[in-house]
Amino acid sequence: MKTGKTWVYTILIIAPLLIMFCSLFMGRYPLPMVEVAQIIWCKILWLSCPFPDIHQVVVWEIRLPRAILAALVGGSLAVSGACFQGLFRNPLVSSGILGVSSGAGFGAALAIILFSHGAPVYLFAMVFGAVAVLCSFLIGRVYNTTPTIMLVLGGVIVSSVFSSLISLMKYLADPADQLPAIVFWLMGSLASANYHDIFVAGIPMVIGMAGLCLIRWQINVLSMGDREAQTLGINTSLAKGLVIVFATMATAGAVCVSGIIGWVGLVIPHIGRMLLGNDNKVLIPASISLGACFLILVDNIGRLLTGSEIPLGILTALIGGPFFVYLLKSTKGGGW
Amino acid sequence: MDLLECQDISFGYDRKAIIDRLSFTVKKGEIFCLLGPNGCGKTTLLDCVLGLHKIKGGQIKLGGQVLAVMKPREIARQIAYVPQAHEKTFPYTVLEIVLMGRASFVGITGSPGKEDRLAAEAALDLVGVRYLSQRPYTRLSGGESQLVMIARALAQNTKLLVMDEPTAHLDFRHELQVLEVMVKLVKEQGLAILMATHFPNHAFYFENQQVKSRVAMMEKGKFFALGTPGEVLSESNVQNLYNINARVLSYSEDGVEQLKQIVAINTVA
Repeated sequence: MKTGKTWVYTILIIAPLLIMFCSLFMGRYPLPMVEVAQIIWCKILWLSCPFPDIHQVVVWEIRLPRAILAALVGGSLAVSGACFQGLFRNPLVSSGILGVSSGAGFGAALAIILFSHGAPVYLFAMVFGAVAVLCSFLIGRVYNTTPTIMLVLGGVIVSSVFSSLISLMKYLADPADQLPAIVFWLMGSLASANYHDIFVAGIPMVIGMAGLCLIRWQINVLSMGDREAQTLGINTSLAKGLVIVFATMATAGAVCVSGIIGWVGLVIPHIGRMLLGNDNKVLIPASISLGACFLILVDNIGRLLTGSEIPLGILTALIGGPFFVYLLKSTKGGGW
Repeated sequence: MDLLECQDISFGYDRKAIIDRLSFTVKKGEIFCLLGPNGCGKTTLLDCVLGLHKIKGGQIKLGGQVLAVMKPREIARQIAYVPQAHEKTFPYTVLEIVLMGRASFVGITGSPGKEDRLAAEAALDLVGVRYLSQRPYTRLSGGESQLVMIARALAQNTKLLVMDEPTAHLDFRHELQVLEVMVKLVKEQGLAILMATHFPNHAFYFENQQVKSRVAMMEKGKFFALGTPGEVLSESNVQNLYNINARVLSYSEDGVEQLKQIVAINTVA
């Protein structure tokens, strides 16, 4: 029993690192495997590298940051999805339930129209993502408490309002350059990954993921419903608030650098549930690891499959959709 | 010492009183049954006692402490709750469910440890369903689920259990099984149980089993009668409370034990 758990955790930690390492060898720029290995070897041993600078840049400034960002984004989306499923006691909920994705999408669209491009997009996406969640929370607040069902309603309302605002932005955008920029942003991509992004957006993502890991067992108790959780001795307002704050930090951080990437927050927690059960003590770290693995893989497929990159949001749904159907069929008798 | 002490408590929404200046106590080793028609305020009263509703007047004391100033964690160490209808969501294993009863002993950043695991297993043993511990609880029958919910409450290690219609939706055998577990907990573990029920015969069952038990008949937020089952469950009281004609039957087995039951005859317009 004890050794089994150690194994599971070891695999969960090693798997994303391994996939990240492998993705250093993959890309459109023709680099022989051996050369990549030697470039990595030189770097580790602090030796001077005999290869052209451009090759080193491809490995260290393009492929590595992209893999790191994919891991962070995938882990963040998956873990907040898993937490929200527990919090809202609904297995079909994903990380966008409280409107963070639509809010961030609107923020990005607004920034693209106002400033055309650049840094404000991140900032606006993150701020409006947080604003959307705050709105859902305030709408759901009645009698000084926030019943879960009211939160869901708040989220649905806020999401649809921001969705129409996104449409409004598209309608107002200059069809020559702004509209495509908005559309591509909304489809999700990691193509612009760099260390600056990782540093800026990584902070909320890492804090969010770490926070959720710390309070992960509380989510078990919260999934019993407000009444029971309180009689079991949980300060439900505090615990719910913490889950929402951490999950929003993780998701908003992810969305602001990657755009809207669906399915990860819905499907990955379910893979975790199938493989390791529903106890959030294991499920939460597992979701981070599986989400990271999944998104690095999908991103690799996206950049290798065709000459021009396929947006991530398209691929995750194309791969995630059929998988979800398979999941629904196979777990029909799986305890649900 | 009284495990639960309610003095003149009131609760209501807007101006309508649902609980109207009620006073009662629950002592160690007794079963206190709340009896009354639908909508008389039984569940609301339980919610007040559990700290889920803030009472508008009066005072509730749990183990000598004033409920109004207690944190959920402190309340959960004094009083455990077995819900009437537990809505199952994720297929947790039975052991994972019972471990949640240890939440008040686990810090906000922690998870249950070995001690909690032992307590959970002891609770499962006490209700006799240890063999279910690795099963997904979504696959249990109604009777098994109720026993698991009782085990979860026992894992809280409190002296007082609150049960809301513990035998609702159970078949004849499982109803008796739950009642037997309750009697065992009170007799052997010295626990106290506060329960809401729709069956007057539950109170007679406890009395027949020589468990110290009291019944409060509730109507429109007030106690209409309070005492031992033998005193309170009279034909005239039942007629007034439910508007039905009823007979109390008594049967002596071996000439020593007396079995009492109340039988409904017909409704009164």
